[in-house]
Amino acid sequence: MVVSAALSGPFAEAELHMAKRVLVVDDAIFMRNMIKDIFASGGFEVVGEAANGLEAVEKYKDLKPDLTTMDIVMPFKSGIEATREIIKYDANAVVIMCSALGQESLVMEAIEAGASDFIVKPFRAEDVLAVVKKVLGEG
Amino acid sequence: MTMDMSRYLGLFLTEASEHLEGLGRDLVQLEREGAPAVVDSMFRHAHSVKGMASSMGFESIAVVAHRVEDLVDAIRQDPAKLERSLVDLLLSATDVMLAQVRAVSESKPPDDASSLLGQLAEKVSAVTGRTPGATRVINQAKASPPAAPAPVTAAARVSPQAVEAPPPPASEPAAEARVAAVVPPSEEGAAKTAKRWAVRLRIAPTCQTPGVRAFLVHKRLTGLGTLHGLQPPLEDLKAGRIPEGNIQVELETAEGEEAIRKALRNVAEVELVSLKPAVVAPPPAPVPAASGLVPAEAPRASNSADATARTVRVRTELLDYFLDTVGELLLATARLRELGKVLPENSRPPIEEGVYRLHTLVKDLHDKVMSARMTPLSLITDRLPRAARDIARRREREVDLVITGAEIELDRAILDELADPLLHLLRNCIDHGLESPEDRVAAGKGARGRVLVSVRRARDRVVVEMEDDGRGMNAAKLKTAAVARGALSAEAAARMTDREAFMLACLPGVSTAQDVSEISGRGVGMDAVKRVVENVGGTLEIESELGRGTRFTLRLPLTVAVVHLLLVAVGDEVFGLPIAKVVGAMEADSERLDRSREMPLLPHGQGLLPVYGLDELTGVQAPPRKGVRPFVVMEGDAGRVALAVDGLVGQEEAVLKPLSRPLDLLPGLSGVTILGSGRPVFILDVPRLLSA
Repeated sequence: MVVSAALSGPFAEAELHMAKRVLVVDDAIFMRNMIKDIFASGGFEVVGEAANGLEAVEKYKDLKPDLTTMDIVMPFKSGIEATREIIKYDANAVVIMCSALGQESLVMEAIEAGASDFIVKPFRAEDVLAVVKKVLGEG
Repeated sequence: MTMDMSRYLGLFLTEASEHLEGLGRDLVQLEREGAPAVVDSMFRHAHSVKGMASSMGFESIAVVAHRVEDLVDAIRQDPAKLERSLVDLLLSATDVMLAQVRAVSESKPPDDASSLLGQLAEKVSAVTGRTPGATRVINQAKASPPAAPAPVTAAARVSPQAVEAPPPPASEPAAEARVAAVVPPSEEGAAKTAKRWAVRLRIAPTCQTPGVRAFLVHKRLTGLGTLHGLQPPLEDLKAGRIPEGNIQVELETAEGEEAIRKALRNVAEVELVSLKPAVVAPPPAPVPAASGLVPAEAPRASNSADATARTVRVRTELLDYFLDTVGELLLATARLRELGKVLPENSRPPIEEGVYRLHTLVKDLHDKVMSARMTPLSLITDRLPRAARDIARRREREVDLVITGAEIELDRAILDELADPLLHLLRNCIDHGLESPEDRVAAGKGARGRVLVSVRRARDRVVVEMEDDGRGMNAAKLKTAAVARGALSAEAAARMTDREAFMLACLPGVSTAQDVSEISGRGVGMDAVKRVVENVGGTLEIESELGRGTRFTLRLPLTVAVVHLLLVAVGDEVFGLPIAKVVGAMEADSERLDRSREMPLLPHGQGLLPVYGLDELTGVQAPPRKGVRPFVVMEGDAGRVALAVDGLVGQEEAVLKPLSRPLDLLPGLSGVTILGSGRPVFILDVPRLLSA
């Protein structure tokens, strides 16, 4: 995939530290795979995936990831609802919303609910990693 | 003693219009989603217009604004009072006020709008149960806050922000001159542990969603303490209305400097421009604008975030004049350089050096003037929601209009040209594109149609797309219509791809709309749209799928004024070809070219290109040539073509001057410029030349 090819170099150093553990939440497999590749190229370890908000909350409690990426519009339970529950369970949880242009007000709602930051589709690997590293205080 | 209000007239006209346009936008939005924030914003708009109009002594405007304010306030108290007829009335009131403001700008007395006032008063009574109160018009006796910027500040600094920021409705009389004494926060007894910090931030210009970014920063800061005097106000921040990405705010917090820096460091795409102890403002009042706090020595040019506080409104004619003059300067410099070439050898270097420096300076000045003319597309897209609502209502359609990327900037000259085409495309989408709600449901779509307008930058172009999810265009019908009108032969039609066929909609008189509505469907619109887009150097594309919808794509240059030209000679004439359309130049022996039905073919890359003689196309007499000659390969409408020329003269960065009558009637000429030698050169529009 193009994304990973472009990125192997500059972020390789991250692997020297303990790889941060990531939970990827999105109802589309395509998006999950792409996000997984981006994180892999940045030296992160994707420890779990969830395809809806319900699953996301369960997996979060189970895995205690360092970072969760959260799609907004998902079946059963929205990303915003899931974020609210995750933050309620763990006030220090780092949740990054995956949004698209035109979803601005939803993202703001998610930020109100405790999301730490957001990334905008279509994703560019370096942008995603830049946001993530900033949030984790590594940027 | 009366105050001379006339000097505020210009400011009144611009600002009142802005507020009224804002009010119109809010009304349209209100109908879609009756959010309290929208009502608040409407209230502020009406309130500001009332204040300004009454200060200027324009009673009729002030009274209408006052009634609107009453009605909006009633909605604010009880959202259930919002109904379609009320929105209609408020929209007409907004239109009337805009017309009144326009009248004032033409030095006519504003219309007294008595029938509207009657309706408004009736509605106010009906909605509030009270008779409407009298409107106080301060008849030029003293200025109320919004209209009195200049006398307060002694310095020659013009700061529209100070004027623009609508004071929160509660704190009206806040116009005392504020003395900006910079006192370290600790020395002021006001706060014991909490300090105030002046925070200046900048959202990266590349940020796609500045509104959300800004909101995130806002959230981080509120986590640290209390915010005062946020500029732009939160609503503007959330909507992404952040001029140049600059945000300023005062943060009152017990946290130390490092904690603040740390909280902001973790946010991507946000730069902390400065963090300083703030002026301690008089306790309760929320400071309306930080511009009052800019230290007196600020006017020096610097790259700090002071930019927000130092914007100046300039009349657009003045900008046009600047551009014109700088263009002339560029030409004059080029002329000087040519003259230098004929000087004796020994005196040439100092002249050449001087001319070089002059050229650098003028070029720089030119760039700056150009950038001053860049204007966000929102200037024209902001009108679309209201238009969409009106068209949809008239045609009994239901439509959601989504606009993204409107903050992207274009040269104002292009923007001005684009307003009507965009409106026409919107009408097309709603009028012809979208089906009636019943038809949509029957076709398995949602009852509400959707029109998406998206703007993005693609390298040196701005791409504007407008797409609907309606019935799509019928290529076969378009072909039939074009053939019936004699615009196309049946064979040519049969060979045409669907994509080419959609462009037939842009031929004058070809329209498949069965009913000629008052709005569009007259077939005169699309050809005008295409012409305008091409005249500013852009292209129009149409994609469509039956049953799925249609997409119009406009690719536009950022600016029009400067073109890079390849100069070519034909006989004794020199013509300019826009380099953007030139693929390359090569030499070949014209007599040894392959031919297909008399048309010479030039081998290029993998294929063969049709060759046209530029002398024949332009009608210039040129002696016949034998042997090797230069060819210029260019992008045409139907693929690449090769032009046979007599010589390649050079490249030139030229200031394009539009052609005036009757020259503009000649097809194939897109403008004229003057070379350094003083020689005028026509710039050719090759696709038009080939089709002429």
